[in-house]
Amino acid sequence: MVTKSLSIIILILCLGLMLMGCPKKTMMKEMPSAKTAEELAAERERAARAEAERSLKEKELREKEEAAKRDFEQRLVAKKTPGIEGEVFESALLKDIHFDFDKYDIRLGNAEILRANAAVLTKHPNVKIQIEGHCDERGTAEYNLALGERRANSTKNYLLSLGISAVRISTISYGKERPSDPGHNEEAWAKNRRSHFIILSK
Amino acid sequence: MLKHLFLIILLLWFVLLPSAGARVYLDINAPTFVQIPIVLPKWKSLEKTPPALTDKVYEILANDLRLSGFFRVINYQNLSPPLQRREGIPSTLFLHEWMSAGGEILLTGETSLEVDGLQFRLKFHLFDLVEQKHLIGKEYEGNLQTLRNMVHRMADEVVLQLTGEKGVGNTKIAYVLVQGGSKEIFMADFDGANIKQVTQNQSINLSPAWSSDGKKIAFTSYLKRNPDLYLIDLDGKNLRRFSFYPGLNTSPSWSPDGKQIALMMGKEGKSDIYLLDAEGGNPKKLTKGHGNEASPRWSPDGRWIAFVSDRSGSPQIYVMAQDGSQTRRLTYEGNYNTDPSWSPKGNRIAFCGRMGGRYEIFTIGTDGSGLQKLTSNSGNNETPCWSPDGRYITFSSTRTGVPKIFVMNANGFNQRTLIPSKGGGESSPAWSKRLE
Repeated sequence: MVTKSLSIIILILCLGLMLMGCPKKTMMKEMPSAKTAEELAAERERAARAEAERSLKEKELREKEEAAKRDFEQRLVAKKTPGIEGEVFESALLKDIHFDFDKYDIRLGNAEILRANAAVLTKHPNVKIQIEGHCDERGTAEYNLALGERRANSTKNYLLSLGISAVRISTISYGKERPSDPGHNEEAWAKNRRSHFIILSK
Repeated sequence: MLKHLFLIILLLWFVLLPSAGARVYLDINAPTFVQIPIVLPKWKSLEKTPPALTDKVYEILANDLRLSGFFRVINYQNLSPPLQRREGIPSTLFLHEWMSAGGEILLTGETSLEVDGLQFRLKFHLFDLVEQKHLIGKEYEGNLQTLRNMVHRMADEVVLQLTGEKGVGNTKIAYVLVQGGSKEIFMADFDGANIKQVTQNQSINLSPAWSSDGKKIAFTSYLKRNPDLYLIDLDGKNLRRFSFYPGLNTSPSWSPDGKQIALMMGKEGKSDIYLLDAEGGNPKKLTKGHGNEASPRWSPDGRWIAFVSDRSGSPQIYVMAQDGSQTRRLTYEGNYNTDPSWSPKGNRIAFCGRMGGRYEIFTIGTDGSGLQKLTSNSGNNETPCWSPDGRYITFSSTRTGVPKIFVMNANGFNQRTLIPSKGGGESSPAWSKRLE
């Protein structure tokens, strides 16, 4: 009887020993699933961090763009002309191009300027412009109006070929009515034969 | 009524007699002519007419005759003392007394202002001193406001008697005047008097043209940030936007019947010649091809339109039928010929051509023959426009510095400024029809 009791105790103890050892073993067995949860959390954290970084970068970019837009807009010069409807703007970034006497084709050297102007327009997609065609004072007023019309439109067509949308560009001919240089010499004339860019809306 | 009857009888009496063998004293179509020496004795003031008023009439009349280019006017101040003192209308019995004055024609007259000061009467009599006979006499009545107009009508009558065609005393010239940074439309009488500002909007206003009825002026303005065509009454009222397609709407020319308007339009990205109906609708494109087309001007018979095209590589004058067919090139001399203007008689076209670096006024026959240069070595001369009788051409010139409006006889003689007193900055003259 005592022997039987003793053997039960031993068995319990052994079981107890086994059980004592067991937790470690069981834990070892369960380790993989515990580790996945941890990793998930970490990944989530990493993703969140990346997301935060991305949105920060985006925000920075947006702010930069907005700053650039603000900067672009701040540098615009508002222009009101008596007797001509509306307020328009001029940007130093949109540069004039010039023409030969009685000609309206785009000079080779002017392609560069028009590409730069197109880049400005691409960067500021809301901007709508008007191209003004101008002539020098020589020759008659009406023929110069026709010539100015053609200069504005050949400039517009070049910008269209660079992918700028036609709805963003209008044209106007001022003929010889609005010289930029009031002089009566070759130098002034060369300056006055031009396409000039104004911004109708930002 | 009695007055009118008297006038009619007077007219019949004096007109019918000489008209049997109506002598034209001056063949104004000859390439050159000698001016007729015409003697103008002092006019007589009847009753209580202020002498200053009579002097004014005399001055306007003498100026009209001088401006016509047909006469060498001999003023009373230049006569011998006994003739200087003679006033009014002489009897034919004493015409021989005027032989020593040195003229072929004697023009005499008198004025009378009614007691109430409102009605004003002018009477003139014209004599041939060579044949010692009376030519015509006529009387004019009106109020003081129409005084200039009455004298102009009188001068027109004298011109008719001596040249076979009425003068242009009652015509106006519309033009563009620079005012600071803007250009406004103005008009003046043919003698440069009576200057009126038509537009006052501070915009760029260009290319004035008279409507076919002479009651409105069309012009191009940048008011709405596009070169649109506007119409305005002569008193500057009733402004309306007439054609406003995106791009050019400029250089209008009415068909002689007033039903159509030819103009430059930039609807397709370059300037072409279009026709509009009288209300400004139904644009119809007349020119084809890749050239820049400018300045359409209707022929007086309504069948043709002269215009500028650079389709050949340089601007030249072309003529096409009014439906756009039968286009032919008119000018071949030089490489810059613009601003055509069709003579009212239909046989010649005036234009602006570049020669030796200067812009000059030329005329050419409508068949391309008989090219004539009318200005020379005197600044840039642009935008010629004929008078309604075809005997004069107005144009702008920089010969005195800033551009001014000039008038000359159609053969290039007698070039004068329209408004000598003013500073200049004038351009684009457009001559009205006779405004009665």
